[in-house]
Amino acid sequence: MRYHEVMKQSTIIFLAQLAMSPGGLSAAALTTGIDEQAQLPYWEIRDEGMSLRLVQRIPDQSRAFFLARGFSSEQVERIAGRCVFQTVFRNISHEAQPSPLHYRQQDWTVQHRDRGASILTREDWARLWEREDAAPAARIAFQWALLPAEQTYEAGDYNWGMTMIDLPPGSRFKLEVTWEQFGETRSFLIEDLQCASDQPVSS
Amino acid sequence: MCQRPARIILNALLVHCVLLSAILTTPVLAQPSTPQTLPAFLGKPAPEFTLPDTEGRTHQLSDYRGKVVVLNFWATWCPPCREEMPAMERLHQRVGDEAIAVVAINVGEDEDTIFRFTGDYPVTFPLLMDREGRIVEEYPVIGLPTTYIIDPAGIIRHRAVGTREWDAPELVEELRALLRE
Repeated sequence: MRYHEVMKQSTIIFLAQLAMSPGGLSAAALTTGIDEQAQLPYWEIRDEGMSLRLVQRIPDQSRAFFLARGFSSEQVERIAGRCVFQTVFRNISHEAQPSPLHYRQQDWTVQHRDRGASILTREDWARLWEREDAAPAARIAFQWALLPAEQTYEAGDYNWGMTMIDLPPGSRFKLEVTWEQFGETRSFLIEDLQCASDQPVSS
Repeated sequence: MCQRPARIILNALLVHCVLLSAILTTPVLAQPSTPQTLPAFLGKPAPEFTLPDTEGRTHQLSDYRGKVVVLNFWATWCPPCREEMPAMERLHQRVGDEAIAVVAINVGEDEDTIFRFTGDYPVTFPLLMDREGRIVEEYPVIGLPTTYIIDPAGIIRHRAVGTREWDAPELVEELRALLRE
């Protein structure tokens, strides 16, 4: 077997692997640790043009924040009974190669014990608060406190907001994040994301 | 020239491992810094509004015609909004005698809440109140903070989602460039 024949064959295999990689080739990497400000565990995906950090948020933090915004104790328990992360989603594409970044949370998937779970969006909660006749100021604060369900970021843009998943505190699950940038759809699977409980879960 | 097959295969695999590693790691290692940029946006007329400020005065967007307006949407409970307030105040101090106006619209909160906030974050530019969250929907804003840059003719020229160092020289220059057009 000649050298160039082997190279040709292995190049075909290599290109086929690239073509088969889900969501296109993504150079994304995952880091975990303790968030400096929150002093709670975080998971951060970093790709060439994006970063997404999910920081645990303990139920008592949600209770305190939303009570102060005007929700009743009963309403606050609906939030504290869910899995909540503080989220920072950034477009970090360099000025020399800026590329818009677009995502829709409805494209993301949550898998918990071999079953799916929902990411609760502003719209989902708005229907609940409407039924419960929550205070208008509380509803407005809630709407803006969540990470947008869909957003487009130009280079340098970012949002900060909560991501709420319809799972109880303390749950461990898989989250597949999908976004569009550099003309292609990319995705990354976080294998073992952990919701905070009232006693922080270590990473 | 022939080589032994096992060695050839090993070399080929090695080449592709190196290639794959380079592709997968280079962008991660070369982490870019956050650029201080003002992305271009829309070019449509900015929606008019009439809103009270925390001193009881009424402001209309049309009051600012002929000026560049840095229109920021924020809330006191929003950490990045708080983070960028000092930079907006520095911008206001720096360009206050030019035709560049800094105006911030609070979303959904009352005078008392904003008053307490300004005890910790004193600002001298107008803080308007969109108590029912109607204006913020019209622009539209999707996440807080968001800042629109409106040119002297009332046209939206840029949108910044998230914080910026508003007194950074490159951003001040972009604002001044709109005045020179």
